Amino acid sequence: MTSASRQSTTAARGTVLVAAQGVALGYGSHTVLHAVDLQIRAGEFWFLLGPNGEGKTTFLRAVLGLMSAQAGTLRLDPSLASRAAIGFVPQRCDLNPTLPTTVREFVLLGLVGTGTDRADHAARLAPALDRVGLAGMQARSYWALSGGQRQRALIARALVRHPALLVLDEPTTGLDLAAEASVLEFLAALNTDDGLTVLVVTHDLHLATRYATHAALFHGGTVLAGPRHTVLCSANLTRVYGAPVDLHPGRGGVA
Amino acid sequence: MIAEFMASWSLFHSTYLAGWAIALLLALVGVPVVARDQIFVGAAVAQASMLGIALGLWVGVAPMLATCDWCQSESVRGGLGGVFAVAAALACARGGRTGARETPEAVTGWVFLTAGSLAVLVLAHSPHGLEEVHRLLSSTIIGASHVDVAVFAAAATFTAALVAWRRSTLLLLIMDPDMAAASGVHVRAWTLVTNIWLGVVVALSVRVSGMIYAFACLVLPALVAKSLCREVGQMFVIAPLVSVLCAMLAFVLAHHLDFPPGQLTTALLGAVLAVAWSGRLRRT
Repeated sequence: MTSASRQSTTAARGTVLVAAQGVALGYGSHTVLHAVDLQIRAGEFWFLLGPNGEGKTTFLRAVLGLMSAQAGTLRLDPSLASRAAIGFVPQRCDLNPTLPTTVREFVLLGLVGTGTDRADHAARLAPALDRVGLAGMQARSYWALSGGQRQRALIARALVRHPALLVLDEPTTGLDLAAEASVLEFLAALNTDDGLTVLVVTHDLHLATRYATHAALFHGGTVLAGPRHTVLCSANLTRVYGAPVDLHPGRGGVA
Repeated sequence: MIAEFMASWSLFHSTYLAGWAIALLLALVGVPVVARDQIFVGAAVAQASMLGIALGLWVGVAPMLATCDWCQSESVRGGLGGVFAVAAALACARGGRTGARETPEAVTGWVFLTAGSLAVLVLAHSPHGLEEVHRLLSSTIIGASHVDVAVFAAAATFTAALVAWRRSTLLLLIMDPDMAAASGVHVRAWTLVTNIWLGVVVALSVRVSGMIYAFACLVLPALVAKSLCREVGQMFVIAPLVSVLCAMLAFVLAHHLDFPPGQLTTALLGAVLAVAWSGRLRRT
């Protein structure tokens, strides 16, 4: 499928989709993130990185509208305000394994909240499955899919919304190396070919150095965010991870 | 056999219609219960409803309340049954929330066992009290009134309309509540409303049809549908169909064989489920 036929709600390249100014986030009286400042523009490919418990998923939840800022402002472009134009791919889908479901039913659940007419479901489903390489599998049981295919079905469930912003929480967890590379290559293609803005939470520095246009390092309640080459340098990574980290950007690697 | 059954229609039509409407209503409500693996919640809610009804009966015969006519009314028993069932449904759901100190299974087990024992203890020394508990447990739907028929028909129509109207939202809530929240669905509000509705319909049904019939119609048709269907959405069609057809057949057979219709319906649904399970085993 070409980018022109995707009918996405993609905003004009460079439009600020998410703007955080002095945002503090937390649970109850506990503050996880203090004074986060960053701007995510249309067409960028962001990686949120950092050790466990540093607030990556908390920030992601705020972008999804699942929690409010304790202080500061987190503004979304009006095209994202209803959340219909945000596609979310969770880390895992805790589906009851005894529940019968097909790829078709599973992916179409992504249309909840978009106000899409039932008559348009087929027109939304086929391109989304085609885009993730599951064309012709709509009648297949979800449980007959491999781990990598299930991850692709999760992404199709987000794409069926025609999102302007695709948010993924550790999308490669539990995948083997081949499936991991396949998912990331696919996300990179969505970003470059379709101009889709992508926001990925991950622990994998290797993937970030290879695919990110922008990165945010979460550490000690603060966030260092910006273009990849300014953020993902050895000095920053060594400070955040507390151990020497050498980058080999030419090979897209980390040691 | 059918002519024989039809001959009894003028005398028992309210009982039959109420029984079938309950079968339809509970099968619809039972799909999310089964799909979320909350079968034991259904049993706990039914048991809590019995405790409420038992308390209502106790209030009706308590010497200190002998002068209170209202205390002896049917509405007190039904009302208390509803309050206890709703409270149980909410307590069982709360057990699974983030930050809760206990698992939903632990809370559900506590509700089931406590309500079950208290229902007997409350009426143990009341005249005919244990007989009443036995009646509620043993499921006799003979005596349902035309008001019961209207109430259950209305409740079933409302539930079917809600399922048809918000089917996708319900499916997403059942299958992936996190995704539902991220899609802008008010998960807590929906969970609250569906749990209250579960408590209300189970309490109403237990009061009229007893615990076994109500619990069977809540759980067994949805389990049959789960075995037969390829998608969760289809379960909302197949479960009520199975439930009503089994109830109709069982009522005719019960009349012919002079068996209690509630127990026969439950046994028939159990047999259909065994066949569905064996069919699925053969397919896999």
